[in-house]
Amino acid sequence: MKIEQKIILSNAINVVFIVLIGLLAFQNLSLMLTKLRFVEISDDLNASFLEMRLSEKNYFLYHDKNSLFEIKEMIDAAEKSIDQAREDISHAVSEENLSRLRMHLKEYAGAVDKVSNAAQGDSNAELMLRAQGKRLRDYSKTMTQIERKGVNNMISSSKSMLIILFITVLVTAVLVSHFISQKILRSLRDVKKLTESISQGNFNKIVGAIPNDELGSLITAVNSMSEELSRREEELIQAKKLASIGVLTAGVAHELTNPLNNISMITQNFIELYDNFNKENALGLLNNIQGETERIEKIVKNLLDFSKPKEVNLTESDINRPVKKALRLMQNTLDVSNVELTVNLAKDVPHVFIDDNQIQQVLVNLLTNAVQAMPVGGRLYVETEADMTRGTVEITVVDNGNGIPREYLPHIFDPFFSTKGAEGTGLGLSVSYGIIKNHNGHIRVESKVGEGTTFTIELPIYKQ
Amino acid sequence: MSRIMVIDDEKIVGDMSRMSLEQEGYEVETFLNAEPALARLKEEQFDIVITDYKMKGMDGMEVLRTIKTMYPEIKVIMITAFANLDTAIEALRGDVHDFFPKPVKIKELKASIKRALQKE
Ligand SMILES: Nc1ncnc2c1ncn2[C@@H]1O[C@H](COP(=O)(O)OP(=O)(O)OP(=O)(O)O)[C@@H](O)[C@H]1O
Ligand SMILES: [Mg+2]
Repeated sequence: MKIEQKIILSNAINVVFIVLIGLLAFQNLSLMLTKLRFVEISDDLNASFLEMRLSEKNYFLYHDKNSLFEIKEMIDAAEKSIDQAREDISHAVSEENLSRLRMHLKEYAGAVDKVSNAAQGDSNAELMLRAQGKRLRDYSKTMTQIERKGVNNMISSSKSMLIILFITVLVTAVLVSHFISQKILRSLRDVKKLTESISQGNFNKIVGAIPNDELGSLITAVNSMSEELSRREEELIQAKKLASIGVLTAGVAHELTNPLNNISMITQNFIELYDNFNKENALGLLNNIQGETERIEKIVKNLLDFSKPKEVNLTESDINRPVKKALRLMQNTLDVSNVELTVNLAKDVPHVFIDDNQIQQVLVNLLTNAVQAMPVGGRLYVETEADMTRGTVEITVVDNGNGIPREYLPHIFDPFFSTKGAEGTGLGLSVSYGIIKNHNGHIRVESKVGEGTTFTIELPIYKQ
Repeated sequence: MSRIMVIDDEKIVGDMSRMSLEQEGYEVETFLNAEPALARLKEEQFDIVITDYKMKGMDGMEVLRTIKTMYPEIKVIMITAFANLDTAIEALRGDVHDFFPKPVKIKELKASIKRALQKE
């Protein structure tokens, strides 16, 4: 189920709860209202019963028949209001109670009649009246009390019911939102980790079950972005490689000139002095020609090998191998540019797990930059070294060229950052950075304007 | 008999130059680098020095300058694999007799040598 649906569902459940509580509370309140009305009525009745009894006392004191008459009137009024109440609020008060009350009232009325008809001083009838009056009032009093208590009970029970329901709704809302946000946060954390690693140049993916909701779509989108970026990076690496070949061929072309010249001079002499040759020196010269063609073949093969697009191919390797290959490719460019090269390669250096071709390309990029930073020539120092305590192998490239201004340093690894105008695409270092990152390595730079620049590459030592 | 010195770190260049030039009746000595060649100039007189432009250690331009200061009568012919306008101009300023990009046409080289010797 989608997260949106889950949230809607949980909200709907809560709304239903709240509506139910509301309805219940409403019903309770209206019941309470009628009960309160009844309590009011019975309060009134109580009051009039009290007055009846006062008149009753008056009669006993002064034997004024008027008092009895008053009582009768009051009884009539009370009967009316009881009948009225029976119609209005019978559902709130038990019918039985009301009719009992009505009966007591009737008996009382009967007793009043008896007294008024009997001769004065009929103590029997008078006693009867008194007893009935007391019963009526007691009954009405207790009934009122009971109803009042009932109303109180209802109020407190609906109060606690409201509290319980309130807590239930609150708890489910909190639990549901906690569950959902937990779930969202967990996936978002995965996505965050991935995007961070992507921004560092590691084009990984989120693996494992992908949920079938919005987060799932997000994860799928980020995954395919990562895939696309990695493909683009490969394309970029290849593009930069082809671009470096432009620089390399200038050097390599010169390198080809010498063996070509050698072959040419031998053949010119062959043609010119053919008759002077004996078999022995003819064979010697043909061997020379063969040697020179092999020299050419090697140079061309080196370049072709470098330029060919290659699948990333990580192998256990000696770091010095790609370094030497890169130096070979750059040999002539260095020569022509008046760069004095010093190489110091570590012996028996621990192996690394690398793509030779890519590391070679990184070195070509760094060496090209170094040469370009020394327009009138200079000194270049290339070193490999193992650092056993850190578990790394380091390649260091030091030039004593122009150096990099401090304000440029944060940007030199950015794609397309270049200070070389049309001469540079600004891809060399960014591509190198990507390659080294993919090897779980680091590339650092130190530079001082006017003094030179040092690039250091760190690669982890390979452990079986 | 005219004496010619060839300096080039490519051994074949020296060998082939000698083979061809000896046929013309010149006396030829070859060197793989500049320092021993210059030392040899102190001992023997040469009419022409053919030198490569780009060599390990002392390069062709330095050879040209040294010869022009110490033995101005020697003619210098420069050959180079890195032919471009800058190197040519630099060489001409240094009073080079002739300038050949590799691959060298031996016939042209021989003609140039002949001209150099005739001027004397
Ligand atoms: N060794 C160095 N010395 C001085 N500046 C350098 C050096 N290496 C890099 N830089 C600076 O960093 C910038 C970026 O280098 P990067 O190799 O990425 O691009 P580029 O050399 O300009 O172009 P490209 O390599 O694509 O031909 C360069 O333009 C230059 O300003
Ligand atoms: Mg560059």
